[in-house]
Amino acid sequence: MKLDAATSAGDIPEGLVEPSLYVGKVTPGSLDDQVLAFPETRPPRQWYIALAITLTAALVGVVSIGYTFYIGIGAWGNTSPVFWAFDIINFVFWVGIGHAGTLISAILFLFRKRWRNAIARFAEAMTIFAVICAVIFPLIHVGRPWLAYWLFPYPNQRALWTNFRSPLLWDVFAVNTYFSVSLMFWYLGLIPDIASMRDRTTSKLRKLIYTVLAMGWRGAATHWQHYEKAYLLLAGLATGLVLSVHSVVSFDFATSVVPGWHMTIFPPYFVAGAIFAGFAMVVMVLVVVRETMQLKNLITMRHLDVMNKVILAMSCIMGYSYMMEGFTAWYSMNEFLHHGFMNIITGTYGWAGWVTISCNILIPQILWFRKARTSYFWMILVAVGVTIGMWFERFVIIVISLHQDFLPSAWRIYKPTMVDFGVLLGTFGIFFTLVLLFARVLPVIATTEVKAILPDAQPSHHGDDHHA
Amino acid sequence: MPETSYAVLGVFETPDALMKAIPKVRASKLGTVEAYTPYAIHGIEEALGLRKSPLGGMVLVMGVLGAITALGFQYWISAIDYPIITGGKGAGSWEAFIPIMFEVTVLFATFTAGLGMLFLLNKLPFFGHPVLSSKSIKGITRDRYVLALEAESEAFDSAAAARALQAAGAIEVEALPAPDRSPFLTSDNILRALGGIFAACVVAGLAMYFATKWFPLLAPMKYMQDQPRLNAQKASTFFKDGHGMQQPVAGTVARGHLPTATGTQEEAASLVNPLPRTREVFATGRKVYTNRCEVCHGAVGNGVGSLTAAYGAKPANLQAQQFRDYPDGKIYWAIVNGKNSMPSHAPYLSEPERWAVVHYVRALQRAQNAKDEDLKVATR
Repeated sequence: MKLDAATSAGDIPEGLVEPSLYVGKVTPGSLDDQVLAFPETRPPRQWYIALAITLTAALVGVVSIGYTFYIGIGAWGNTSPVFWAFDIINFVFWVGIGHAGTLISAILFLFRKRWRNAIARFAEAMTIFAVICAVIFPLIHVGRPWLAYWLFPYPNQRALWTNFRSPLLWDVFAVNTYFSVSLMFWYLGLIPDIASMRDRTTSKLRKLIYTVLAMGWRGAATHWQHYEKAYLLLAGLATGLVLSVHSVVSFDFATSVVPGWHMTIFPPYFVAGAIFAGFAMVVMVLVVVRETMQLKNLITMRHLDVMNKVILAMSCIMGYSYMMEGFTAWYSMNEFLHHGFMNIITGTYGWAGWVTISCNILIPQILWFRKARTSYFWMILVAVGVTIGMWFERFVIIVISLHQDFLPSAWRIYKPTMVDFGVLLGTFGIFFTLVLLFARVLPVIATTEVKAILPDAQPSHHGDDHHA
Repeated sequence: MPETSYAVLGVFETPDALMKAIPKVRASKLGTVEAYTPYAIHGIEEALGLRKSPLGGMVLVMGVLGAITALGFQYWISAIDYPIITGGKGAGSWEAFIPIMFEVTVLFATFTAGLGMLFLLNKLPFFGHPVLSSKSIKGITRDRYVLALEAESEAFDSAAAARALQAAGAIEVEALPAPDRSPFLTSDNILRALGGIFAACVVAGLAMYFATKWFPLLAPMKYMQDQPRLNAQKASTFFKDGHGMQQPVAGTVARGHLPTATGTQEEAASLVNPLPRTREVFATGRKVYTNRCEVCHGAVGNGVGSLTAAYGAKPANLQAQQFRDYPDGKIYWAIVNGKNSMPSHAPYLSEPERWAVVHYVRALQRAQNAKDEDLKVATR
């Protein structure tokens, strides 16, 4: 299997179940030295430059959000009838980005896909950061975010309760559960690695921090037994959860009667889109991580190749979904639905519809070629395209469906303001700031999991029945 | 060597060596055998004779409990405590509760799996464990495989344990002394603290709920009906006459209710011009007079207007003593109701415009009958 120069140059050790999960000779000790030594050394200059850029972007977001609080939601472009615009677009977009992490860490774990081990940690971290970016939007779009706790059912002074039949309240539960579960999944996976860092470090402060975070993990067999069981259970639970979260997000739309929203295809369509966008973001970040952090032997071209295959598969599902939207509009003979669909391809915002279709369906088709799947140029092009395309897909769903629905007298054009763009830019800044900080303080690769798939990592005297 | 030992550790280089050593060390029956490894090793549970993890059952029970909790909570709130009819469905229609039931189930199950594993089963955090301060711990979390023979009683023979481990193939042996004091920050204490916090939250929530139900009018909940004010028909200690409601000051005009001229002209005599004598009011009066009055009453109000010859009637000379003695209200009445041949001007003039004309007519009368002091004012 000749994927790139690094792969073919390395000697693939015998006895490895899946070839090219890593390149060259990797032992548990050398793995620790390579991955865990990262946070212990001073970051390079490029890291500071990157951090300065992302922090600037985050600052733009903070200022924009502050301005929004000062002025009110009028600072945004939201108007009648487009009451939902950038806030919900960005919310759905960021929740979607998060889904790749859970998919890689949970679903691929259940399927015993060992290639996930090297990239799961980063993907999970990105999930946490993406969900943090996502929750900003429901929080600030309520207009008075200091009263956002009203969303929670608690025994309040006014003896009121929330309406449990509102999909927006389901969102509150779904996103909060998703964040809690992702955080726990991520932290549990980190504990043995943090214990390794605790035992490696010479700095007193680091020792203290890692000691507290590792909770006294000592790798006892009795602990590993419960730990493995817990990890398996969490993976199973997270799998159900990841499918439910974006389905619930899609209910915000699908349970209404707005033409273009009121569709049964929405839950699976949203989940596929989320995985699609998330994988694109993971590929983008992993390429940078792989190049700048000298992890080429652990994050191989094969990883990127497989990720790109998933993106391609999701792209095809998205294409099918778009076709089904058109088919439903035609076959249902619903005048309003038909008008809504024609709006996507020929209306005022028709360009957004075509950006979506080109970026999500046409460009990723290049990934049918192995050369493209293993070429930085093409995979970055596709990943950036998918990120843009998926953002515009949410724009199409929300703005195009809302700006012209049943009542022509209420139709109006929506225009975002600079504040809208500022908040969007800000969340990208926050996301990448967190990614950069994570890369400097915690192991970016789950060393414990990778150690377990190294040759000779598992005892051989039991025979072959223990090898998957 | 200290008097009491906690355990003796034997270090092995490969998982194979560890697995081969386990049955030998267990056969020595010197103490409890525990293994420490950098990652989970398959088959080690059977070799060590560990019981299966009960986590699956715990998670199942808590998951079901989560589903029941979510259903009960939502049903009680939406159908019993605070019924909201949504979309014409019955208050007890439960289908819409499923998404939240699912999320709460997952939440309960996840917390059970994660925290139950850490706190309950693994008894973490455990910062004072002897193995953590051993020399071998660096290897354990890196690439070494360690077997521990743990003391079960005072009679533990650490020298024999070390020999048994070496015989099983350990490349290094380390004896660990027993910890001299029990740590405070243990999983038990943390669990108790968490349980306490949870119980306090539940108690506080219930207390708040029932407090609002049973004592809805306790301070600091101020209702608007309790504010200090005078109610209609109530006595007052503030005013001398003891009445809460007072007569308005004479000449008071309610907002938007300028006086109107109804009844006879004599009755209207008591009306007071509500407008101040400002430059703007006189300007308005002049404009209105020029547009509507001048054709008959003339530019100076002397009854010589441009229409007179053709009109046939004789408009009033407003400069006459009779009209100079008129109260404002009678002029106003004439504007509103008309007089003799003059029709009503009410449809064409607003209230302020009518009164502004009255002021202007007064100004015309004064101008034609100026006094010495007026001259002083004008030349000052």
